[in-house]
Amino acid sequence: MQLRHVDAGSCNGCEIEIAQAFAPVSDAGRFGARLVASPRHADGLLVTGVVTKNMAVPLQMTFEATPRPRVVVACGDCAVSGGVFAGAYGVVGSVRDVLPVDVEIPGCPPEPSEITEALRRLTGR
Amino acid sequence: MSTAAYLIGLGIASAAALLGAVLPARRRLLGAAVLSSAACLAALAGAGDVLVSGHAFSLHTAQVLPLTGVDLSLDPLGAIFVVTTAVVGLAVSCYSVGYGAHQTPSRTATAMLPAFLTTLLLVPAAASLATFMVAWELMALASLLALLTEHRRRRETRDAAQWYAVMTHIGAAAILLGLVLLAAHAGGQSFAAIAAHRRHLSVPLASVVFLLTLFGFASKAGAVPLHVWLPRAHPEAPSPVSALMSGAMVNLGIYGILRVGEDLLGGGELWWWLVVAALGVVSAVFGALHAAASTDTKRLLAYSTVDNIGLVLIGVGAAGALAAGGEQALAGLVLLAALFHLVNHALFKGCLFLGAGAVQHAAGTRDLDRLGGIARKMPATAVLFGIGALSISALPGLNGFASEWLLLEGLLHGFASHSAVTEAALLAGVATLAITGGLTATAFVKALGVGFLGQPRSEGAGDAREVGPSMLAGMGLLAGGCVVLGVVPGVVLPALDRATTAGLAAGAPRAVLPGLGLALASVRGAIDPALLVGGLLVGIVVIWGALRLVPRSADLRSPRRAAAWGCGRELQTARMEITATSFAEPLQRVFADVLRPDHDLEVTHTAESRYFPEAISFHQRVDDAIERVVYRPVMAAVTWWGRLARRVPNGSVHRYLAFGFAALVLVLVVLA
Repeated sequence: MQLRHVDAGSCNGCEIEIAQAFAPVSDAGRFGARLVASPRHADGLLVTGVVTKNMAVPLQMTFEATPRPRVVVACGDCAVSGGVFAGAYGVVGSVRDVLPVDVEIPGCPPEPSEITEALRRLTGR
Repeated sequence: MSTAAYLIGLGIASAAALLGAVLPARRRLLGAAVLSSAACLAALAGAGDVLVSGHAFSLHTAQVLPLTGVDLSLDPLGAIFVVTTAVVGLAVSCYSVGYGAHQTPSRTATAMLPAFLTTLLLVPAAASLATFMVAWELMALASLLALLTEHRRRRETRDAAQWYAVMTHIGAAAILLGLVLLAAHAGGQSFAAIAAHRRHLSVPLASVVFLLTLFGFASKAGAVPLHVWLPRAHPEAPSPVSALMSGAMVNLGIYGILRVGEDLLGGGELWWWLVVAALGVVSAVFGALHAAASTDTKRLLAYSTVDNIGLVLIGVGAAGALAAGGEQALAGLVLLAALFHLVNHALFKGCLFLGAGAVQHAAGTRDLDRLGGIARKMPATAVLFGIGALSISALPGLNGFASEWLLLEGLLHGFASHSAVTEAALLAGVATLAITGGLTATAFVKALGVGFLGQPRSEGAGDAREVGPSMLAGMGLLAGGCVVLGVVPGVVLPALDRATTAGLAAGAPRAVLPGLGLALASVRGAIDPALLVGGLLVGIVVIWGALRLVPRSADLRSPRRAAAWGCGRELQTARMEITATSFAEPLQRVFADVLRPDHDLEVTHTAESRYFPEAISFHQRVDDAIERVVYRPVMAAVTWWGRLARRVPNGSVHRYLAFGFAALVLVLVVLA
């Protein structure tokens, strides 16, 4: 499962946890999950943060650029529901308002083990 | 028949030059082009007959030149150069119709191109010292005038012409000195007489003659460190002239080295050829590096010529060294490869120069940083330039691959020779071939990728329109040659074999077996590009057919059109594209010791704080390091000497009388 990470307006808390999920302790990589540098190489998107106005179109473009079939993972409370930023100015909404979401990882931020668990459900290992 | 055809070719070419000068403005261009095409075809027939039959012709007439008369003789070695020139000349003549059509062509322009062509066809047939030097000088002068025909008022063009004139005349002086020295000791000025007398020459004298002529011929061939005129003259010359210079004129430098070194001096010493090979190694690496760093299309091509001539020199040097060591079969193979590469270089470099000229014609610039998106505006030019670029990068199925494969095979098999020095030179040649292969590919990925793909970076590039059919036909002829010689190289190898045998003093056995592919006769090794290309085509068809047949899901059945992935940016402008300068930057950094780029960074700060820049300007130039290190000090010294000498004639009659008296006294003292 190759994932392209998109920061749609995150506070970078989720990014730190994602980095930890792929670091030696959790090592999501051993279950077949990988972060890649281009949506053209990806099987899905890993979206963090509330979707801001500036990132709404790029997020959709990234989704369009991902080959089908594709999955969308919303990582963190902001991506799932808007979190503390729900209804704030400059915000379009949660990821679900922009893209069809397949997997949600709640938490502010979610722990590396939770991220790894969600990715394992995708990779099936 | 060959004599008549060749002479008719020369005659028609001269007539074309004459008509180019006297016809009315509207007919001038077409008249000169049609006649020079006919001249090329006639010369091609004459020289081709010499190559196919293997019979040389020679004739002498006491007319034309006073005292010595004219000696002409065309053997297979000379004929291969005449054939190459004629093919490039045919393409250039065709191309020049469209190239000059946008404005009324000047008389000089239409007259000098056929004149230059005539001299190029004449030089390889010259068979005596006087004829050779006259033809050589005519070629130098005709090319100089042809170079100046376009933008002659520009400072860069005048500069380039001066550099070229000085370099070519220093070279011609060295050749003249060498050949006169040779003729004085060989009892005759015809090449046949000199060759017959070669056994009686002392080694030191022969060495001096070889080094003098090597200096002259290397300056014409553009070998480092005598290459400085190439990157100046080629960009400033009109594109048909650049194509002729690079595709035909520099070859004659190689011809001269072979004619004097092997034919007139009989092969000579081992170290002569090691010097030639060393020149080749330095030229190839230096040329390839600068080609990879250049951002001007034609400057890039000029440096690439230095690179390819370097490869040919490696081949010639290795062949001479092997022949001097008694390895005739291997020497023949390596020389055949070198000559083949020379012919191929003429084809693809001619095509590339004509392509660069077409782009300059349509977009108004040859600066890669201001081009871009040309492939969409000029698809045919892009395809033809692409064939040239792939050939020069030595991709299988095209002619660059065939000759570089042969050269590499020859050099590698040469390790069986018994001289450690020769083996070291061959090793250097193999390493050079490897590194220049990579650098050349980089240079042409840059030329093709930055110049032809992406979005236009300037208005000129955006408004470019496809050039006319005559220009495309000129490029197409050369590109077609690249493909034919790449797929079935065997068709020209017998002719090259005859030229090789004539080019080596002791002769050489057949280097390749008859057939359409490349099969070595004296050593093991064979490759058939036609099979390679055929297999590739069959593979593509099979995969394409399989993809059509295999059932696919509904989602994939209807193709989806999407924009190229641009990292999710909503705005993509030409300023965001990679430029030639940025593409070459990493390489330039790695080879900073050789390229010595000049940076000039100027930061203007705001009045309030040093931490906020108001404007930043950055300039970068990659000058020729050899020009800076070797030529600039010499030129400064000459200028200084000239200033000093200017003080001597100060206008005083008394002083001049004193000079006269002193000179008279000196003469009397010496005579007494």
